[in-house]
Amino acid sequence: MTRGVLKEKGGKYVGLPEFARVSGQLVSELQLEQQRGTVTSVPDERTIRYYLAEGLIQTPEEKQGTASVFNYLNLLQLLTVKKLQAEHLPIRKIRELVAGKSEQELETLLGVRGPSGKNTEAKRYLESLLAPAPSAPPIETAAAPPQQLDASPHSWQRVEIEPGLELHVRSDYAPPATTGKTRSLLERAIHRLRRLRD
Amino acid sequence: MEYPKVEFFTTRAKLEAGREQTVDVLIRITPPALSLDHRTRPNWKGRPDLNLSLVMDRSGSMEGEKMIRAREAAMFCVDLMLPSDRLSVITFDDRIEVLFPSEPVTNKQAMKDLIARVTARGSTALHEAWVRGGLTVSERMVDQGINRVVLITDGLANVGVTSTDEIVTQSMGLFQRGVSTSTIGIGADFNEDLLMPMAQSGGGNAWHVVEPDDMQHIFQTELEGLIAQFAHTVSLSLIPADGVRIVDVLNDFDLTKTGRYRLPNLQAGSPFDIVAQLRVGAEEAGSQMRLLDLRLGFTPQDAKQAEVLKQAHTIEFASATVVENSPVNDEVIKAVQFLMNACARNEAMKRMDAGDYAGAEAVLGSALSATQAACASFAAMPAVMEECASLQETSMSLKDRLKDKMNRKKLAYAAYTRQTTGKLDQ
Repeated sequence: MTRGVLKEKGGKYVGLPEFARVSGQLVSELQLEQQRGTVTSVPDERTIRYYLAEGLIQTPEEKQGTASVFNYLNLLQLLTVKKLQAEHLPIRKIRELVAGKSEQELETLLGVRGPSGKNTEAKRYLESLLAPAPSAPPIETAAAPPQQLDASPHSWQRVEIEPGLELHVRSDYAPPATTGKTRSLLERAIHRLRRLRD
Repeated sequence: MEYPKVEFFTTRAKLEAGREQTVDVLIRITPPALSLDHRTRPNWKGRPDLNLSLVMDRSGSMEGEKMIRAREAAMFCVDLMLPSDRLSVITFDDRIEVLFPSEPVTNKQAMKDLIARVTARGSTALHEAWVRGGLTVSERMVDQGINRVVLITDGLANVGVTSTDEIVTQSMGLFQRGVSTSTIGIGADFNEDLLMPMAQSGGGNAWHVVEPDDMQHIFQTELEGLIAQFAHTVSLSLIPADGVRIVDVLNDFDLTKTGRYRLPNLQAGSPFDIVAQLRVGAEEAGSQMRLLDLRLGFTPQDAKQAEVLKQAHTIEFASATVVENSPVNDEVIKAVQFLMNACARNEAMKRMDAGDYAGAEAVLGSALSATQAACASFAAMPAVMEECASLQETSMSLKDRLKDKMNRKKLAYAAYTRQTTGKLDQ
């Protein structure tokens, strides 16, 4: 949904009607329409002229014949104005927020920048803190049926945890190295036990 | 770029000749104040962009005044932020909810409306909530801005990962990857032994909210600190000259891998005080001696490259009469005394933990009389009066077992502020 805007990067729009058409599409794509409001939701040519006069959109310097050539920055300015209007900000405040902003800053304000594949180191680290231990087998294979145990080339040891509950440990099994992994293992064990009871 | 100012102060400007002595040196590091033009970034607004996540405890114990004040403080935080900043709010009890994901702070009212609906319930899944808050920040990393999780809680982690060591290690791990953590503990029932090291290792600040009414003030200080952040990843080494030995550094810093002191982030215009005690050999009157070489490493907020500032301190020796007749620097006396009081507070805490309440009271009592004696000539200075009042009040309330948890926190945070954050007057 937000990709649509970024795809326009570097785009040129010759004349007001073309600029109004492209921005109109994006306004509805981004759902920037003001809910129950007084402001027209789709930016028609008249609205755009008003924004230009108010300095909310920078007047394009480039011309083709008599038609102004709008660019990506102008598009971002228009979309940001629409977004902020939808949030019921006064025009004066909007002008303050939009004026002099770079493409990048406007993209940020619009909320279309990123995640930009920002799989940052911090993010990967935090995800690893949430994920269960990677070396651990999935729950379904954790408790293999007894006949498979016999077929295995490894030997198995039985440890009684409490009367009625035994742990089968394969000879090459290494216990978890960290408290986090131990905890995640225990949680899976408890989960399995609960499922047995149900 | 403009470097921080480094100043060295001794109790008297010259040292007495002809005898070996212990010298207190106050080292004051003052980063330049923020100005709109001193940075070369074209779109510099006078402060870094903020990318924050507020992680708010809404467990049952928060009910009432604490929840109300926490909500108010969070809304106040929204008010202080700019549209170029990002904010997310995570609430947690035994479940974790993303109240709103990381968004530019453009529609403040909508954010505040959501915060206003947060009410207390359930138990405390502190760790996972912190991780979730970190994730919302990490997905929108701002390169030269401040990426921070602010964890607000009044309770003990009792769901999920609860091991202090593990959480503190992770907090440092996250800081090394660019996201820092501040913690705000409310009341008497949270675990200061978790929240303080979590912030210290996490490159943020640890705050204690004694009364719910203090919350807004603390939020303001935290945000102002973020906005004024001058440099991060700050390290300090003090290299004594030949014939000089460092007896002690009265602050409490962690060491980096290379054996340097790890300092907290530097704030623009805000001085940072360190006291080193040196043993200096006998020198002749009139001679000059290089005492110390200081090396301050830091990464300015708007740069990627680390900078190093080197400065040496040289001192002159004079006859006993000359030294005795020279003026005394009150700032040095005060800094030494306040840092010693911080040590006394830690000692009192240890005694409390061991059940020796009378011993704890005695430690604080002697810290109080030492302060009154050392600071007698400037006893009317507000910082001195506050320090004495704080020592006296805590010492007196040590008899009341119901106040144990709160007293321990007051001691711990007062010691931390002076020894670790380098702010002696707070």
